[in-house]
Amino acid sequence: MSLEFWTLAIAVVTAVSCSLCGSLLVVNRQAMISEGLNHALLPGLAFAFWIWRDYNSPWLLFAAASSGLVMVWLSEAFQRTKLLDADASLGIAFAGMFSLGVLFVSNFLKQTHFHQDCIVEGNLAIASLDRLKISGWDLGPKSWIVMLLILAFQLLFIIVCYKELKVALFDPELASRFGLRPKIFHLFWLSIVSLTTVAAFNVAGSILIVALTIAPPAAAYLVTTRLHTLLFVSALIGAASAFVGFYASLSLDVAPTSPIASSSGIIFLLILFFAPTNGFIMTQWGHWRRNRDTLECLVLQWIQDGLQERSNILPKISGSCIKWEYILNQLKRKALITQADGHYVLTSAGRMKLTAKLSEFSCVE
Amino acid sequence: MFEFLGDYTVRIVVLSSAVIGATSGALGCFAYLRRQSLVGDVISHSSLLGIVGFFWLWFIFTGDGNKSLWLLIPGAMAASIAAMMLTQWITKTTKIKSDASLGVMLAIFFGSGLTLLRWIQRSSNPIPGQAGLENYLFGMAAATTLPDLWMIGILSVVSLICLVTCWSRLKLLTFDPGYAAGLGLSSNFWELLLLSLLVIGIVIGLQIAGVVLMVALLIAPASAARQWTNSLGKMIFLAALIGAVCAGSGALLSAAQKGMPTGPVIVLFLFLGVLVSILFAPKRGVLLRRRSIVT
Repeated sequence: MSLEFWTLAIAVVTAVSCSLCGSLLVVNRQAMISEGLNHALLPGLAFAFWIWRDYNSPWLLFAAASSGLVMVWLSEAFQRTKLLDADASLGIAFAGMFSLGVLFVSNFLKQTHFHQDCIVEGNLAIASLDRLKISGWDLGPKSWIVMLLILAFQLLFIIVCYKELKVALFDPELASRFGLRPKIFHLFWLSIVSLTTVAAFNVAGSILIVALTIAPPAAAYLVTTRLHTLLFVSALIGAASAFVGFYASLSLDVAPTSPIASSSGIIFLLILFFAPTNGFIMTQWGHWRRNRDTLECLVLQWIQDGLQERSNILPKISGSCIKWEYILNQLKRKALITQADGHYVLTSAGRMKLTAKLSEFSCVE
Repeated sequence: MFEFLGDYTVRIVVLSSAVIGATSGALGCFAYLRRQSLVGDVISHSSLLGIVGFFWLWFIFTGDGNKSLWLLIPGAMAASIAAMMLTQWITKTTKIKSDASLGVMLAIFFGSGLTLLRWIQRSSNPIPGQAGLENYLFGMAAATTLPDLWMIGILSVVSLICLVTCWSRLKLLTFDPGYAAGLGLSSNFWELLLLSLLVIGIVIGLQIAGVVLMVALLIAPASAARQWTNSLGKMIFLAALIGAVCAGSGALLSAAQKGMPTGPVIVLFLFLGVLVSILFAPKRGVLLRRRSIVT
């Protein structure tokens, strides 16, 4: 299999597992915690690497994940003093830990590939070179296997604890009545997020993790309201952004990480505009159509009552977007009115439509 | 050991860092009090697209690379304001909450900015004069020149004038937006003014702190200053002072010592400042506050 294939495979698996993590954060209004987490794991990662000097040591994962949890603890400790609000304490905690990490890297790890750019962008392009070989069998790149294991772990957790997870997320009070301990659940979930972030960090860097954790779930949230559809759709969108971004990066001749990130954002924008029922264009079109229907009905009533001089106030009612002439033309085209010696009169179809509409309105009343 | 203090470049760098620290610290108070700290983070990340985009546009029109702040700061402001307006629009028209829409802005603006940056720097046929553009990621105070200092100074003075002339309105909008709307302050204009002040506070600091850490330069002085006083005027003055001292000394340390990127050093100083304020501030500090029923 070619190198490109494996790079794409790593990107897709990373994207899917980040999107799954993110879905639960986005519905829980904690999206920005992922921005904090992926910056805060740097000191732990750098320190562990400085000691063990081995990228594939499991200690690296462990140290970095606990460094992320230290950040969560720190920002919650700030909040508990009631001197800082949630946003500020998260911002200060992660910026402080991140700078500690950057200083550590620039002083002690200068000669490694651990330089500043990798912190932001990761090493996706070369991750596929580092293969896992067991007794001569080439099982694929190591980071692919690690991400796959983490994805499997996530899926297992989500499937096994789906009901409990749902209650703990959407109604913590009810969950605690059930004896579910939503706090513990939440902490456990955050450690899974932290672990995923850490595992993805090496290949994806901080930018891609934030993008893939937030943009696909947010896009999925636009088109669905059910949790399992949300999980599925966001995984799909994550994989799609990995595809699009990867091929964009090939044609632009740049590292694949940031194109994948920006394509996930652009897919979000596309869905925001073009989604079939909730998209911006469809909602605006719906507003406009309802507006036009009401105005048509109003004009029919005026014509029936012989109040055509009121046509002057129509522009004031409808705003500037729907004109009197336009409504008349529409009505004529639908054969609801005809013109007889300078006056408009309703046809039988027009009268029927008006009665139907009026009964609809009186039903509402 | 201290002969670098007489150095012309070092003096400019330290002076501009202090000015930036003071301005960002002062303007950050509004973001802090309006609970918009993470907005600052997203604004600073988004500005990368503007910086790189304007650099690239300048290259297309003139065929020359230009890294002057006079070009890059307007770019950064344009991108940040665009990102913020898009966020507000998304939060208003869809069911997406503000945190998620902020995150999406990171993906769009920071992702595209980084893509464009790497494309400009690509190994075959890079654009001349691009070297140093990536310093905006983590900040490079040493690259500050005298024209840059002028730009920073002018923006600081402009924002200070705004602050003084619109003082009562800004104060009202910060503490009681509902009452402000009731008084008929046309809120769109004032919101935009506050947003522009916030953006100014962020973009002038990108040179020294970089887009990744700028949020701390904005928020930390305000968070520290808040603990020492209850008056907005004193808080802003104190935040400016803390920002100036930390940024100036951070720039000095980074100039004196090798392997000390300016941004992280400044942020660590600020972090210590916040920690000290939280622990030792009279009346509010954790160690010195009186135990009261109302916490």
